[in-house]
Amino acid sequence: MISVTPSNLQAEALDLANLSAEQTALEIRGLNLHYGSAQALYDISMKIPTNRVTAFIGPSGCGKSTLLRCINRMNDLVEICKVSGEIVLHDKNIYDKDVDVAALRRQVGMVFQRPNPFPKSIYENVVYGMRLQGVNDRRTLDEVVERSLKGAALWDEVKDRLNASAFGLSGGQQQRLVIARAIAIEPEVLLLDEPTSALDPISTLTIEELITELKNKYTVVIVTHNMQQAARVSDQTAFMYMGKLIEYADTNTLFTTPDKKQTEDYITGRYG
Amino acid sequence: MRNWFKSGAPWIWLTAGSVSISLIAVLGVMAMIAWRGLSFFWPAAIHEFEVRANDGSSQVIIGEIYDSEEIPMQRLRESGVVLDGYDEETLTRVLLKVGNREYVPLDFMWVMQPQIVRDETPAELAVVERSKDGNFYGYPLHLLENGTVVQSSDLRADLQQRIERAVALNEQAKDLQQSDIGAINYQLNRLRLERRSLELKGALSDSEVARIEAAEQQLRDDYKLLEQRLFAYRDDASRDALVVRDMRGMEVTLPMYRILDVTFPNDMGLFSKIGHFFKQIGKFVTEDPREANTEGGVFPAIFGTVFMVLLMSVLVTPFGVIAAIYLHEYAGKNSITRLIRIAVINLAGVPSIVYGVFGLGFFVYMVGGTLDQIFYPEGLPSPTFGTPGVMWSAITLAILTLPVVIVSTEEGLSRIPSTLREGSLALGATKAETLWRIILPMASPAIMTGLILAVARAAGEVAPLMLVGVVKSAPMLPVDGNFPYFHLDRKFMHLGFHIYDVGFQSPNVEAARPLVYATSFLLVTVIVGLNLTAIGVRNHLREKYRSLEH
Repeated sequence: MISVTPSNLQAEALDLANLSAEQTALEIRGLNLHYGSAQALYDISMKIPTNRVTAFIGPSGCGKSTLLRCINRMNDLVEICKVSGEIVLHDKNIYDKDVDVAALRRQVGMVFQRPNPFPKSIYENVVYGMRLQGVNDRRTLDEVVERSLKGAALWDEVKDRLNASAFGLSGGQQQRLVIARAIAIEPEVLLLDEPTSALDPISTLTIEELITELKNKYTVVIVTHNMQQAARVSDQTAFMYMGKLIEYADTNTLFTTPDKKQTEDYITGRYG
Repeated sequence: MRNWFKSGAPWIWLTAGSVSISLIAVLGVMAMIAWRGLSFFWPAAIHEFEVRANDGSSQVIIGEIYDSEEIPMQRLRESGVVLDGYDEETLTRVLLKVGNREYVPLDFMWVMQPQIVRDETPAELAVVERSKDGNFYGYPLHLLENGTVVQSSDLRADLQQRIERAVALNEQAKDLQQSDIGAINYQLNRLRLERRSLELKGALSDSEVARIEAAEQQLRDDYKLLEQRLFAYRDDASRDALVVRDMRGMEVTLPMYRILDVTFPNDMGLFSKIGHFFKQIGKFVTEDPREANTEGGVFPAIFGTVFMVLLMSVLVTPFGVIAAIYLHEYAGKNSITRLIRIAVINLAGVPSIVYGVFGLGFFVYMVGGTLDQIFYPEGLPSPTFGTPGVMWSAITLAILTLPVVIVSTEEGLSRIPSTLREGSLALGATKAETLWRIILPMASPAIMTGLILAVARAAGEVAPLMLVGVVKSAPMLPVDGNFPYFHLDRKFMHLGFHIYDVGFQSPNVEAARPLVYATSFLLVTVIVGLNLTAIGVRNHLREKYRSLEH
């Protein structure tokens, strides 16, 4: 049996089923997703609370990344992918026809599994999103770079070489740079898709500390296949299996007294 | 033995062997062309032979040895040549370049080795390089100034000084003719066209006629002044002359304004020979051709080749890249797209002459003819763009090399990791913004690769150009000092066509052969130079956009 000790950084438990409107960052309602004829997500409904860390866990292929990518419509890139159901952000279904996808992605930022800095300088990587919005004022950009890099706990390491190529950074630094890039445009929600799976343990630790910092300003949703990580950083955890949301509860409850047999089997390591 | 086969050693030998053979072939070709081409510029010794014929009469022959070969006696006897007192199976004969084109029937002659009774290389023998009638070989005797003999203590120094003077005067005359007089002719032609254009529009008022005629009169007056200066230069240049004794023993007067250089190769040390060698190469690449391309340099051909290739690159790159972007990024992944892609790839296999025919029929006659009718009606019936020219050549070669650029750009686009696209999209970029800011810069090394292949193909292409714009001799470069500076309607010279023209269309095949090698070597050098530049740019870009390596 894996010993999972929830950290004391976690916020007090919320009643996830009955969140009030101001406590809810976004709400998923009856979401189904098909890749061609194969169904990948089955009728997912959940509310994700504001300024907290929500983790999606589950075995490989359970649909946790797919669900995450629905939240900023990254799945639109896959031609054969069809989504039904609603994801509501600010009383607006993001799958409505009149939604500007680029604007949505500015509100819902995303960090990927592998660090993917652009082939530009560190500075230009951070201000990429600002430049897209037409912000070119040097002083504003300088401020954004400093604030974002500090927010991603990278400022002290790179402040002397902002114009050096981003490829010169280590993997962990690159991942923090990517987080800085994402928070530079001040999203409301930050999606992290297995952000530490390509990193060494020390970089992982830095990123995990960073995540608990980030929730003060942003709503964080993280996908991880590492249960200890979910236990360490998240306030509430959703366990998914075969495209279904099996159990969604605050992290302490889910890891200590899970309701469902499948959840218990998974967190005790019987499969997955 | 079986173990040896199983070990894979034969496979290594086979593969390494084929690489070696390819390498040897390439190096061999390069070495051969370089040797034959470059040795043309090396100052060869000038021999004075005394040749005794069968009847006992003897003749002095002066010239450079160009070639020698061994031939069977049988063949000579069959062609009626009889050599007394010589009964070997084979015989060596040498090919001599004797020059002096206006005094001897042929400036090349074969001499049988056994007939040579004396072979000397006197230091006083000179090669006189002339702007007309090729080289002259002989002994310089004295100088003439205005027809009277000049007493000079040091003939060579005096000669050198007077040649420099004449060459400088000729240069001034040429400059005057090309820039000032050329500009006047150009402006006169424009005035004629302007008048014709007003006439066609029915807007030719009396005041306009008066204005144009006044301008024409002004230009003609200027022209007269310049013409006087030109004649003055020419008179001045023809003041001196050099008297030379040739191989017949006759004294020949060579006017100085036709003399480009006098050298004494038999009297040169190694260093002066090397100096002369590089000077000749310099002349070859910077001067205009003379005497139906068999003498002089190839500068207009180098310029034409490079200019046409650059123009083609400017046309083909954006076009090919845009097409590749549509095919790879926007077109649906269905059978029609696949069909188009296969068609594009197959376009690369169409013989180039077919593109030439297409270029002539479509671009030159249809597009060019229409352009003339719409924009240049005043020039008709003589066409402006409705005739082969450098622009049509560049466009035709752009079409020819388009598949290469499309294919390699598409490959470059597909090599970019999808995580970068997603990263950009996740920051709120649209697809077009992602393309511009991330994808295209990262694909630029692949685009450069396409361009390199396109340049390599286009610079060596001759067949289609013969239909759409290349000529044996172009009076003017496509770029000059007259507005609008780039004259894309002009015909141009090309190194590849120059090789063909000199080697196969020349009246003097023997004289032209070293030029063929030299020009081939130059063409290869130009292509390699263009490619190295592009490869340098590509490597720089590659370093800059080095892909993520995890």
